[in-house]
Amino acid sequence: MPNQYNITYRTENTYENWVNDAYWQFLIIPMENNSQHHIDVEFSNSLFAVNDFSINGYGFRTIRVHPKKKFKKINFEAKFSFIKDHIDPFNFPLDINDALAYKEIEELTFKINFESFLRSTPLTNIPKGVNSIFEFNLSNTIFENLQELNNWTFNNLQFKTGVTHVDTKLTDIISAKQGVCQDFTHLFCAIARQNGIPTRYVSGYINQEHGLLGDSQMHAWAECYIPQVGWKGFDPTNNILANTNHIKVCHGKDYNDCSPLRGIIYSYGKNKTTHTVKVQSQEQ
Amino acid sequence: MTNIENQIFSSYQRNPDLYDEIYDKEGKVKEIYQKLFEIYGEHTISDYVNLNSKAKSSFFNQGITFQVYGDSDVQEKIFPFDLFPRIIDHKEWDIIERGSIQRSKALNLFLWDVYHDKKILKDKIVPIDLITSSANYLDQMNGINPPGGIYNHISGIDIIKHNDGKYYVLEDNIRCPSGVSYVICNRTALKKALFGVFNHYQTHSVTNYAENLLELLESVKPKGVDVPNVVVITPGMYNSAFYEHSYLAKTMGVELVEGRDLFVENDFVYMKTIKGPEKVDVIYRRIDDQFIDPLEFRADSALGVPGLFAAYKKGNVTLANAPGTGVADDKAVYTYMPQIIKYYLDEEPILNNVHTYHCSRPDELKYVLEHIQELVIKPVDEAGGYGISIGNKLTKAEIEKVKAEIKENPRKYVAQPIMSLSVHPTYIDETESFEQRHVDLRTYTVLGKDKEFVLKGGLTRVALKRGNLIVNSSQGGGSKDTWVLKK
Repeated sequence: MPNQYNITYRTENTYENWVNDAYWQFLIIPMENNSQHHIDVEFSNSLFAVNDFSINGYGFRTIRVHPKKKFKKINFEAKFSFIKDHIDPFNFPLDINDALAYKEIEELTFKINFESFLRSTPLTNIPKGVNSIFEFNLSNTIFENLQELNNWTFNNLQFKTGVTHVDTKLTDIISAKQGVCQDFTHLFCAIARQNGIPTRYVSGYINQEHGLLGDSQMHAWAECYIPQVGWKGFDPTNNILANTNHIKVCHGKDYNDCSPLRGIIYSYGKNKTTHTVKVQSQEQ
Repeated sequence: MTNIENQIFSSYQRNPDLYDEIYDKEGKVKEIYQKLFEIYGEHTISDYVNLNSKAKSSFFNQGITFQVYGDSDVQEKIFPFDLFPRIIDHKEWDIIERGSIQRSKALNLFLWDVYHDKKILKDKIVPIDLITSSANYLDQMNGINPPGGIYNHISGIDIIKHNDGKYYVLEDNIRCPSGVSYVICNRTALKKALFGVFNHYQTHSVTNYAENLLELLESVKPKGVDVPNVVVITPGMYNSAFYEHSYLAKTMGVELVEGRDLFVENDFVYMKTIKGPEKVDVIYRRIDDQFIDPLEFRADSALGVPGLFAAYKKGNVTLANAPGTGVADDKAVYTYMPQIIKYYLDEEPILNNVHTYHCSRPDELKYVLEHIQELVIKPVDEAGGYGISIGNKLTKAEIEKVKAEIKENPRKYVAQPIMSLSVHPTYIDETESFEQRHVDLRTYTVLGKDKEFVLKGGLTRVALKRGNLIVNSSQGGGSKDTWVLKK
């Protein structure tokens, strides 16, 4: 059954001193893809500045705002409504030739085609000395190994907010064994890539109505490319496969390619920002 | 004609092991230099000193200066200049010009391939690690078709003459190569000081650079634009090359802007003017990739234009040079240039590459270990001259150490023969006389849509310290006017 979704994203920003010039870029619009369509976007800001719709360097939709007067406070509100089809994550061919799949990921052409999602980045770099934290069992299928990795990541990290921030490196996450969705996802991406599986970091929303863990802001999970299957979503924070409750905004190599809000503020002094996200769904 | 009596060259000492640009092996002045030699010989050294200092003060008066970063007291300096020019005859120039175009075109095709199908990587001509490990590789450029199909609009190719009398390329600079304003200013200064010398030589003009640059920049305008609006963007007056940015804007007759003068709306770029916003179509940018758009690249950049990359991706503005071009401007990619030229153009390289031995290949490793004293050993992944060992300057113990390091990690090292840059008589302030100094030549090649231009001249850079091989202006190098002769 498809779901009708309504998402509200709000952010309030207050500044101690006048802001004379500022630019924001939001990367928060649910993307149009096979399972997400009829996307309707309403976006507004409290200063009535122009909302400039565009696409970023990786091809995802953005909204840029550049107020043309000075201010101390600005609020943004985005409302998205769209249809999300029902996803059965186990719906893929059963007659996969595992030997061929393992052979394919070793081929140069494959490595070149998926190069950006095989490369380690500063946020997905496994520190030296922790090589054998999780290894693929080559007698299992790639899919089974990834499920196992999903499970392993879930069991090895404890979900805890406030202990990490958006640029916490894997070294610290591995030793603290705690973190939030982006930390789970960075660790998962790093290990999957180390095992030769193209893996991308996904940013989006999660429907928490069914008790899933996530964030009151945005959620993160991973997508892996499995030969003969295609891209499959894994959510290590919840130890599940991505499904109808996962609303994708964009993907990239890591959080840096996907940060929901980039801002350049010409001011000084203290500032306060709050975000809230509300996800509502209705089965049709 | 043998060595004529000549006051200003009477104390000139020639080292027979070096390739002198004006004297042949027998000590005779080469034919193309004879007239010049005679004319300069009519002057005394004190005349020359006089003229030289006048030329220098004219550089100061015009503000043709640069700054050296890192000095505690930042000073405006002039690029040391001497009035004795370098001459290149039309036959040699023909090789340089054809070779520079060939390299620039091959680099352009290479960049297109790297950001599209990556065939050269799939065909195992260039290893993929070389590309993706480069800090200048921009994922965001994948699949983008730059207007006119050009990435490296402006290439600064550094060429030397080795003591075998042949030209070799040392580097291909295709990010924001600078120095072209000095080429033109050197010519102007020489004309002011010694106008008469030009009567005896048919020398190509260099002052047409700006008009050609503008024409070629206009040829790569975005689709749907009739008469493009071109601007030059500079990081600002504190940049070491600010003089050049303002010079190029002025001589092209276009606006010189900083990031804050531009804004992006609806994916078009506009310039703020007193008459209201004016659309900008082609940007000759002298700001590095990471700083051009704080919303897409480094967020702490105050130099760029927020939203610029989105406008570029949409095809609404041309950036010259294209973002991500630096991936081909790399020591490791350089070593593959002969293969790159062959792969895309099916031609033999016109200009030589300095031969490179890859220690990752067993037979080449063997050669390197046996001939280490004749070679320069360079790590492939370091920039700025770090980790370089010059074989003939190493002690026995150091040689063993370097050998051990290479054997430990052969993938990390390449080796090249030690090159000997040609020398040219250069006026030296301290001794008030002419001495041999090493020189190189930076050429400027501009690629447009289906046309190209090479500045007939170039920047001859001089290493002013005796025996020094480093010619960069920040390292105390100077420059000379460079004459390319017509037939």
